[in-house]
Amino acid sequence: MADHNPDSDSTPRTLLRRVLDTADPRTPRRPRSARAGARRALLETASPRKLSGQTRTIARGRSHGARSVGRSAHIQASGHLEEQTPRTLLKNILLTAPESSILMPESVVKPVPAPQAVQPSGQESSCGSLELQLPELEPPTTLAPGLLAPGRRKQRLRLSVFQQGVDQGLSLSQEPQGNADASSLTRSLNLTFATPLQPQSVQRPGLVRRPPARRAVDVGAFLRDLRDTSLAPPNIVLEDTQPFSQPMVGSPNVYHSLPCTPHTGAEDAEQAAGRKTQSSGPGLQKNSPGKPAQFLAGEAEEVNAFALGFLSTSSGVSGEDEVEPLHDGVEEAEKKMEEEGVSVSEMEATGAQGPSRVEEAEGHTEVTEAEGSQGTAEADGPGASSGDEDASGRAASPESASSTPESLQARRHHQFLEPAPAPGAAVLSSEPAEPLLVRHPPRPRTTGPRPRQDPHKAGLSHYVKLFSFYAKMPMEREALEMVEKCLDKYFQHLCDDLEVFAAHAGRKTVKPEDLELLMRRQGLVTDQVSLHVLVERHLPLEYRQLLIPCAYSGNSVFPAQ
Amino acid sequence: MALSTIVSQRKQIKRKAPRGFLKRVFKRKKPQLRLEKSGDLLVHLNCLLFVHRLAEESRTNACASKCRVINKEHVLAAAKKSRG
Repeated sequence: MADHNPDSDSTPRTLLRRVLDTADPRTPRRPRSARAGARRALLETASPRKLSGQTRTIARGRSHGARSVGRSAHIQASGHLEEQTPRTLLKNILLTAPESSILMPESVVKPVPAPQAVQPSGQESSCGSLELQLPELEPPTTLAPGLLAPGRRKQRLRLSVFQQGVDQGLSLSQEPQGNADASSLTRSLNLTFATPLQPQSVQRPGLVRRPPARRAVDVGAFLRDLRDTSLAPPNIVLEDTQPFSQPMVGSPNVYHSLPCTPHTGAEDAEQAAGRKTQSSGPGLQKNSPGKPAQFLAGEAEEVNAFALGFLSTSSGVSGEDEVEPLHDGVEEAEKKMEEEGVSVSEMEATGAQGPSRVEEAEGHTEVTEAEGSQGTAEADGPGASSGDEDASGRAASPESASSTPESLQARRHHQFLEPAPAPGAAVLSSEPAEPLLVRHPPRPRTTGPRPRQDPHKAGLSHYVKLFSFYAKMPMEREALEMVEKCLDKYFQHLCDDLEVFAAHAGRKTVKPEDLELLMRRQGLVTDQVSLHVLVERHLPLEYRQLLIPCAYSGNSVFPAQ
Repeated sequence: MALSTIVSQRKQIKRKAPRGFLKRVFKRKKPQLRLEKSGDLLVHLNCLLFVHRLAEESRTNACASKCRVINKEHVLAAAKKSRG
């Protein structure tokens, strides 16, 4: 052995091949007849092609097979261990390798795991056929049994390809390793096969992708369900998440349950009830107050009615004396509603007809009004209008009787505070809800201009803390205030200087060069101490990375200069 | 960001730069100017060094007057010295 031909073609394969060919006659293989010898020749020729030593050993093992005689012959042949050639080493490995791992393609069936038996059927034949076609192909190699499991899947995928063109009636004797071998060989030989998916399906029809079974939509049932739900909506306001939900017929309006009874216009209330044809009593109550107060002309009759209804209810709660201001507010609200008439009309258009829509219109008008108020009345302040809108949106939330008058009163107050558009929206959107109540008090509060010093002082306090840290001595409070003043002055000076420097450079943007010049003027940066040194000394790593350009892989510098 | 280890004081010092605060201050003072991306970090560095120098000077002044506590006079004197 150790015959290294100085040929250009010095691949391990060719080398080993030559070695084996030359060394062949040395090993007595008498027990193995010509067949074995031929096979061994094939195997050995195939072995050089193996890239893995294991396969080589397996090839050798294959040739040896389970023939103890052959082994003995090998042992005899490899008696001269002092040579320590790769060949001898391999032989030794083979001798010591467990026999069970050795699998023969045509010979005794090795203990093959059952699941593998399925596939192996064709693989052997494939291997055999491949052998015939491609002498380099080596029958299955010996792998440790433990490796069988992980390789199973892959083997199946690859081997199934072979199965297509292979006679599957061959014996089940098979070696999973052989599959791996074959597949690896095919790979090495650049044989392309179909994707594993297809073979998988061929092998396992159960894995074929089935088209999703879709049931045809039963339109009739669907419509029926729609009707059923529409007929008996528990609480459309609660369930509906859209601002303009379809009006419901006979829907119990929770938010209509106003405790206050119409004190005036009871007959109108009846008329209203009759017109609105609302089954709910509260709805009647709600509508009735609105009717008498409908002396104000409004394009959205229902809207006005409701608005007035709210007003009147509130007035009923508080007293008659406040009706005028409320009504004034209502007038303004109506003007507002004129503006929002479009939205209201839209809502009406979207809604159903008349009575059923009224109740919904109530909530929606409030919503629209709130929205309109929000949009138009910026004076309200975004918080107020949004709060109103939210309040109206919360119509679904159960309101308590007590909260209603309270919220109305609160709204009234709010009205007085912000007369023009707010009151209308506030009153109209008086869908009293507890969250509304909670939300309302903060709104009237004038959140005056936030003290500008606060964030400024908060930022400065950071540096004040640093001052006390650097001082390492206890400090008086006045001293800290003095430090704050100094910092203020310092920032002022800093900005002025930077402005001058930038202007000197003809720029309007302050760049790090200006900062460096500033520090140089301060005496912090000298010829001995550069800016980068200071950066490294005092700033944390994250900032250092941002400031000091550093070269990274890929010939890139960050930050870019 | 990195937190300083407790050296002699009980409280920890944040080494984070109040970038938003710095940018806001600069914008307020000089709305016509623009600050570059990492410029505020250098401003922060400048502030750190300034505060450091001020603290050192105040400490020196306090020790010179043999006080155990830094007084506002010490700070004032230090500020006068550095500002001129």
